[in-house]
Amino acid sequence: MKIVHMIKVMLGLAPNCEKVNQFLADYVEGTLNEKTRAQFQQHMDMCPCCGPYLDQYQTTIDMTHDCPCVEAPPELVEHTLSFLRQNADFNRS
Amino acid sequence: MNLGLMAPCGTGRARCRLGGQELKSQMPRSVIHPLLTTTCNSFQMQPSKTQHQGENPVSGSKSRDVVASTDSFDLEALLAGDEKAFEQLVIQESPRLFRVIVRILGDDDEAQSILQETFLQAFQRMDTFRRESKLTTWLYAIGINLARASLRKSRRLSSLEDQEVERMQPSFSRGMFVDSPVEWDPGKMAELSDRQQLVRKAIEQLPEDYKAIVILRDIEEYSTDDVAKMLDISSGAVRVRLHRARGALRKLLDSHFRMRGSS
Repeated sequence: MKIVHMIKVMLGLAPNCEKVNQFLADYVEGTLNEKTRAQFQQHMDMCPCCGPYLDQYQTTIDMTHDCPCVEAPPELVEHTLSFLRQNADFNRS
Repeated sequence: MNLGLMAPCGTGRARCRLGGQELKSQMPRSVIHPLLTTTCNSFQMQPSKTQHQGENPVSGSKSRDVVASTDSFDLEALLAGDEKAFEQLVIQESPRLFRVIVRILGDDDEAQSILQETFLQAFQRMDTFRRESKLTTWLYAIGINLARASLRKSRRLSSLEDQEVERMQPSFSRGMFVDSPVEWDPGKMAELSDRQQLVRKAIEQLPEDYKAIVILRDIEEYSTDDVAKMLDISSGAVRVRLHRARGALRKLLDSHFRMRGSS
């Protein structure tokens, strides 16, 4: 971590790793305000731990999103409607 | 069965257009009901302009704020007990709700059974819908509750407990990382043929609450507010648990992907 940034962190003028991690989800989703986002971005650029952690956190999200699609059985809707006709006063006419 | 109604079709990033009306759908083409295929093929497909498909300016990743399915059916007709309107609800929401339930339960047959019970309860309790959320959110809350009740009844527990999820989060001392994360090996990640199964198994290990949030938020891409309503918890709790769940998943994947030679 560059010395100036480290001094800022120590003086509480810039967010530390724990604070950045606490708001990582907001950072990833782009919901932080501009000033905070810029501070976080600077920390990510300087910190040898938070940069790799962010990469892995984001990769985890991406891989989760790409989790194999569950395919619904083709007869799913018809079976559900049949069930409703049998068990509720539904579409019996 | 009434097939004259508009029905969802296409991929999760497309819209169906028929007679000048549009329906957004989140379903992949593979889950289209076969009876609807002919009708759907005549629909004009076009990319959705309302969903955010751009890059996240911060992370460079795909944007995650894709909105959940829109309530495009006739709510007034549903509340009035119109069976054709309810049939449309079943046609439109069954595939996606099935996906959510089967991911929670991990059992196709049981998921089908829970799905049917969900629609039965929704049909019988439609008068209890208070318009405090989207109807689909209310419907999914019923389905998720039934699925979780079924899990508890069968005593199929996740392998991780809440405290273990907590222990899998990074440690800090005076605000700084205690242990530097070991970089992941891109080659290892690329060559791992069963990577998707690895991720699926990692998700299955999560405690029930965390798993449901990951499924709804990171896989099905519902908004934080919708997930909060479905699970009857605060939006803040959704955000905190999602972050912890992602941290736990990262930790579970870490041993498979870290650079060779790292302990």
